[in-house]
Amino acid sequence: MFVPLDAYRYLIPRTYKKGMRIEGLVYADAVLISQIESDQTKEQVANVATLPGLVGRSLAMPDAHQGYGFCIGGVAAADLDEGVVSAGGVGFDINCGVRLLATSVDEGSVREKIEPLLNQLFRDIPCGTGRKGLLNVSRDSLDRVLEEGAGWAVRNGYGIEEDLARIEEYGCLPDGDASLVSAKAKERGHHQLGTLGSGNHFLEIQRVAQVYETGTAERFGLHENQIVVLLHSGSRGLGHQVCTDYLDIMHGGMKKYGISVVDRQLACVPVRSPEGEHYLKAMAAAANFAFANRQMMTHFVRQAFARVVGTTDVRIVYDVCHNIAKRERHAVGGSEREVLVHRKGATRAFPKGHEALPPELRDVGQPVLIPGSMGTASYVLVGTERAMEETFGSSCHGAGRAMSRTRARQETSPDALLQELRGRGILVRGESKAGLTEEKPDAYKDVGRVVDVVHGAGIARKVARLTPLAVMKG
Amino acid sequence: MDDGFTILEHPADIGIEARGATLAEAFENAARGLTALILDPSSVEPRETREVELDGVDREHLLIRWLSEILYLYDGERFVVSQFAVHSLSPSHLRAVLRGEPFLPEKHPTRTDVKAVTYHQLEVDEGKDRSRVRVFLDI
Repeated sequence: MFVPLDAYRYLIPRTYKKGMRIEGLVYADAVLISQIESDQTKEQVANVATLPGLVGRSLAMPDAHQGYGFCIGGVAAADLDEGVVSAGGVGFDINCGVRLLATSVDEGSVREKIEPLLNQLFRDIPCGTGRKGLLNVSRDSLDRVLEEGAGWAVRNGYGIEEDLARIEEYGCLPDGDASLVSAKAKERGHHQLGTLGSGNHFLEIQRVAQVYETGTAERFGLHENQIVVLLHSGSRGLGHQVCTDYLDIMHGGMKKYGISVVDRQLACVPVRSPEGEHYLKAMAAAANFAFANRQMMTHFVRQAFARVVGTTDVRIVYDVCHNIAKRERHAVGGSEREVLVHRKGATRAFPKGHEALPPELRDVGQPVLIPGSMGTASYVLVGTERAMEETFGSSCHGAGRAMSRTRARQETSPDALLQELRGRGILVRGESKAGLTEEKPDAYKDVGRVVDVVHGAGIARKVARLTPLAVMKG
Repeated sequence: MDDGFTILEHPADIGIEARGATLAEAFENAARGLTALILDPSSVEPRETREVELDGVDREHLLIRWLSEILYLYDGERFVVSQFAVHSLSPSHLRAVLRGEPFLPEKHPTRTDVKAVTYHQLEVDEGKDRSRVRVFLDI
């Protein structure tokens, strides 16, 4: 039972499910809400609302779909004293995120070079399952990656100091503690630094197809017909193992703290418990690995542009986390205080004036990057004050799956899909042909509709629409 | 022929339902299902042996740890397995012998990048002559 509050907000009252301590709220329009109702998303939003010590509401963004424990597209904030931290509330791919790079070239001048550029990127950036990175970092270096994040990459020749200001948290969560990351997680990570990964991870060469807010776009360094690169990747096997390890630890911890959950994937412990604090430090370390990973791939993109196109001017517009838990200051019940915000498939969307933004973006707001599905548009939005008031400064993170991988595979052959995309002028290179069909455009919700809900609800504003020219998939 | 496992649909990811005359056999088949999702199992020669010994609080927990171990061997130690023999299985302990070989991308065609094993809709159903487990994977 959803209670519509307005055209974009659907409430799940506490009476919906026994044990709900707070209300649930789903951002959607009439079409998206019926898609959301077709799977377990609503139950999962309600389940999250049963966790101890959450504040505000258990939220789902318009791209929400069924996940594990938390839905994908979920946001929940915990009181630091009374509340819990959940490893499942961040997810396996810790700091899976998106980075947008703006180049100095326009589509018209490089149209002929898109294909060689894609081939170069495919050669330079390892992708797919089981592929090793070009750099096999030592144990000592890996520990520094885990504690220094993108800064480690910059200091080792992958990028420039100015890059760091254009990354959420300046590319480093300072709490990262390598000693709390297991040997197994490090074993999975040390040969995967600088690799794209597989599944829904991708790199796209895009053009800025439309600008909605000229002034804001200009401040972000974007204009129509410009060539940009969107990169979607995370903390690879290292982050997956950190989540696996701490889910295990949290299951043990729940007994100790007398916590019971309706779904074991929601395993959680008090924020201020040794287990909770250790998880947050290990999670921060995995997040730093992901920042360094995207930073290294940024360097490879720059090298490819220099070689094929002849430009070295490739700047980071911004880099956002999709799966993360962070201590942030928010207004709760009329007063501002620090809470732990879980974003599980959601993007931070801070407004202008927020102190977390670098000086050059502080009077305009945070770029919010929303990748579409393969072959469809992606969007750049800007954070708003309304998001601070309603969603703990959060917005959606993508289109959101609408169809299972199995069904996507059955419905379309890889060759038919490639031909369709080619017919629309989109080049594709993928490590796995079967994997490509799993990511076919109509396996996802309509990203334009998702973004319109976010814009209409006021939890971010549309700035620009990007359309793909070439796609590299793992 | 019954492979002993079936791949299940999930809106975003993939599940495995595995069966066996005993719970140990169902665990073996779940591991075979996981391996078949990751790569072509027929490409893996059982040239080397690894022993696995795991503790857990209950059978569900052991199943998660068992499959997470297989995934770790592939993604961390780059060792792929084609034969699974669970020699002993109690609600709190598992001992198994695995046979496989070091992962070589040119020899072992990969299929899906499995990130992790989840507790979502996890089921372990031990029967007298027939056991069944169900688990969902994060892809």
